[in-house]
Amino acid sequence: MSKEVVKEKSMVLQKEMLGKHFIELSRTHETGKKVVYTFVPGNLSELILAFGMLPVYPEINALQSGMRKKSGSFIREAEKMGHSEDVCTYVKCDIGMMLNGNIGPTGEKLPPPDLLLLSYTGCFTFMKWFESLERLYPGVPVAMLHTPYQENGEMTEEMTNYMVEQLKQEVIPKMEMVSGNKYDESKLAGILENSAKAEDLIVKIFSTTKNRPSPIDAYFAGVYYIGPINSGFRGTPEAVTYYEALYEEILERVRLGLGPITPEGEMEEERFRLVVEGPPNWTSFREFWKLFYDMGAVVVASSYTKVGGMHDLGFRHDPAQPLASLGKYCMNCYTNLNLPQRIDLLAKYITEYHADGFLVNSIKSCNSFSAGQLLMMRQLEERLGIPVSFIESDLVDPRYFSYSNIKNRLDSFFQMLDQRKIIKGQMEETTA
Amino acid sequence: MTGQFYTMGVDVGGSYVKAVLVNYSDNPKIIDKHAEKIRKRNPADVAGELVNYILQNNGLQYEDIAYLASTGEGELVRRKKGHFYSMTTHSKGGEFLCPGVKTVVDMGALYVRAIKIGERARVLDYKMTGQCASGSGQFIENISRYLGLAIEEVGSVSLEADHPEVPSGICAVLAETDVINMVSRGITTPNIIKGIHLSIGGRIIKLMSALKAESPVMLAGGLAINKGMVQAIRELLKDTKYEFEIVTHPDAIYSGAIGAALWGGFRHVKLSKEQAVLV
Ligand code: SF4
Repeated sequence: MSKEVVKEKSMVLQKEMLGKHFIELSRTHETGKKVVYTFVPGNLSELILAFGMLPVYPEINALQSGMRKKSGSFIREAEKMGHSEDVCTYVKCDIGMMLNGNIGPTGEKLPPPDLLLLSYTGCFTFMKWFESLERLYPGVPVAMLHTPYQENGEMTEEMTNYMVEQLKQEVIPKMEMVSGNKYDESKLAGILENSAKAEDLIVKIFSTTKNRPSPIDAYFAGVYYIGPINSGFRGTPEAVTYYEALYEEILERVRLGLGPITPEGEMEEERFRLVVEGPPNWTSFREFWKLFYDMGAVVVASSYTKVGGMHDLGFRHDPAQPLASLGKYCMNCYTNLNLPQRIDLLAKYITEYHADGFLVNSIKSCNSFSAGQLLMMRQLEERLGIPVSFIESDLVDPRYFSYSNIKNRLDSFFQMLDQRKIIKGQMEETTA
Repeated sequence: MTGQFYTMGVDVGGSYVKAVLVNYSDNPKIIDKHAEKIRKRNPADVAGELVNYILQNNGLQYEDIAYLASTGEGELVRRKKGHFYSMTTHSKGGEFLCPGVKTVVDMGALYVRAIKIGERARVLDYKMTGQCASGSGQFIENISRYLGLAIEEVGSVSLEADHPEVPSGICAVLAETDVINMVSRGITTPNIIKGIHLSIGGRIIKLMSALKAESPVMLAGGLAINKGMVQAIRELLKDTKYEFEIVTHPDAIYSGAIGAALWGGFRHVKLSKEQAVLV
């Protein structure tokens, strides 16, 4: 592995964007800008921007706290307050952070919410989370957007109409009240135009992993790539610029036949191509990633990077029908799909991206992802006959990352992948 | 084959380090073997001491060993020549101890893994238990400590059971609570221990059936020397539709280390031949 790590233009751009955003948030008491707390899956970034407000995503803060090794104490703090061990650790980390002065990931204080926008998509915990926030910030208005689950594996016209009605009757009036601005559909349409551009680019970026070697890791690096669209920048010209730069850099890697960049430099040999289901562990993110790149394992597709939208299945925000497309977007996020849809999607990834194996990282905290994962894994194993494996960890609770256990399982998995390759090679030799 | 030479295999597990010295030839022989509990020490140090101990015991120097091979967490082993995947070594060691086996069940401190093997001990497929500790050797150790038993006694105590009481097999924490309850209800130690063996045994059988294991099935790893565990699996199998033929060996705990030593020998021969060609 070559040791040289170069800061790419896109990395610099992303850092600047995020830095600017957190500074803006810390200055709201001077600028008077209103702040909306909301969730990542099925988020309404564009609508928030159209009202000139600033979004705060508690999951993003929690994962950042996890990466900065602060989540453990925040979680303990929340548990002392009575939150059970079984409660989602994103929630406890977030509450712990608020109890500790609400200092955001960049060290700047986060402003309190002016609106709690509960876009309830696929996860019941969201409701309980905001019930807790309501108690921490009494009197702050709550706008509830209930996203129907794709129980029958489809989005019907009625479902879209239901979403549009909620936007018109519940969400927009509350946003008008809090921001003091009138809803301006042409402004929203302009923002959505940028969203669609960024989404086009994101799809292109994640399909570069079809190359051999894959120029990027679609999971460990992928989580950085989805940062801007998931943390409030979708719909901004900055996001489009960022994704253009990133795409260019990746295309250059493809042209040069280079593999992914890891924290220890460039991966020189791609030995295994994997599809991964489930979010990563954030508290030992580097250690976790190293277990893969040390073995030459590259993730070529993952479901987690689709948590903020299934753009690869064709969805784009549409300036021609702004509210309907916002509604469809919410219904389209990965955790709002039913299990057969998820299995079909993963099977498609495994086949189209020529994966050698399938891995589940089952997250103790997250019911929304974890429910049904064993069944999904078994079905994929049966359908495609590829090696599969199942590991367990947590998002931001360091107590649930067991290095030896994960390593043992991954070792067996990689060995099986190796063995299958040898057998496949021998079969090809004898049939040639 | 290029005559005889010594190889050593070191298997660093979750709880024990195992090492064997092998006289490698067309008909390899185990010369010496030792297992040492890690007990909160640095596994690399324990492995180093064990290697030195075996060398001294046999009047050998490090240089006399043609190939020192590691497996398991053995990436930590100092002075090793090569490292082998643990499924490969358990298969090789299992096949050496019980020739003709088609499945090796490695029952370790942290997990149980069933491995289907083909010709020349090649790994064909595998299945592993979940992460929960209730299916592992460490769990038995914790319970035996609670019951005041030495780990070596656990197997024979289990054989004395007359009415085994099976705890919840779902979760180590719940099972431990069950055991505390059993003690207060006056259930005898043999019946508690046997119940735990039956609970773990049930999981192992599920694993074998998920793997579509083929017989003979060899039980290997640390738990395989526990007679009570082996007996429990045999008894449970009688009540199922599966007709697995279960075999084991008194040296089953060394299957990984033996496999490493044998693969080390194989690689040494190969490397010597390659060098001879270069000369
Ligand atoms: S359970 Fe999962 S989806 Fe729900 S809030 Fe927690 S991490 Fe998010």
